[in-house]
Amino acid sequence: MAGQSQQINISDLDVPQLADVRKQLEEELTHLTNSFSQLKQAQAKFRSCIDSVKEVAPQNQGKTILVPLTNSLYVPGKLSDLENVIVDIGTGYYVKKTRAEAVKHYEGKIDYIRTNLETLQETIQKKQDNMSVVASILQSKLQAQASDKANKD
Amino acid sequence: MSLEARLQAASSEYARLQAELSAAVESRQRLDAQLSENELVKKEFAVLTPNNTVYKLIGPVLVRQDPADARATVDKRLEFIRSEIKRVEAQLTDYDARTEKKKDEVCLFCFPPLSRRAHPPLHRQLVQIQAQIQAQGQHTAAATAATA
Repeated sequence: MAGQSQQINISDLDVPQLADVRKQLEEELTHLTNSFSQLKQAQAKFRSCIDSVKEVAPQNQGKTILVPLTNSLYVPGKLSDLENVIVDIGTGYYVKKTRAEAVKHYEGKIDYIRTNLETLQETIQKKQDNMSVVASILQSKLQAQASDKANKD
Repeated sequence: MSLEARLQAASSEYARLQAELSAAVESRQRLDAQLSENELVKKEFAVLTPNNTVYKLIGPVLVRQDPADARATVDKRLEFIRSEIKRVEAQLTDYDARTEKKKDEVCLFCFPPLSRRAHPPLHRQLVQIQAQIQAQGQHTAAATAATA
């Protein structure tokens, strides 16, 4: 980023510039934390998929289930194939898998998201550190300005 | 043309370039998302066994597909997305260079010929416009940084 291509000592910046830097960092942080919570949500969704797959088990054979046709319209149904489920693998492709394979697929997804979450967490941590440095410098500059003014008056 | 009008024209041109640049950044991001999704699908196809049937969602129905066909389609898509990324990358560097040039042009207006004493009101106005441009520039910088 800019900080590396042209080295500027952060304490050389004046107050409005520091405020701008802080604002930019704030925007980046909100963006990153948003992505973080989105990933968390996706992970939770995959977890509930695993739970659903586990419900498609032999002990539930013959029981009536309600199949949603729309959000508010359901029809009764029975599970006919207890061994296979069809999994959405992205970009419009679906694959028929056995239950064990489906669970493995979702676990792989959860793990993939977990590694992403870890790297994201690190980035957020770094940004927060940068942010607190900028904030403390800004604070001390403001204080210095205030005391300068008080001395002049 | 007066100096002021020339600066106005240059700075609006600069703002337009900035908008184009951020549009290009956005499409670059979208391509990245598509690329990673298709790569995940490709990975998924690689571990299929003959027992796994592949379906494709066409409108509201799932249509059975030959796995080899599906693999070929995804490969083709990946190829297309990669070439698109290359195209947008080139666009990005081009826009970057052009905005950089415009910025220099705008700055040229502001500094050398004007002294504060010679044109006090014009100078004040220029400083204001300059601040605006800077704010816009920072906004785009933030967007680019978020992508990185």
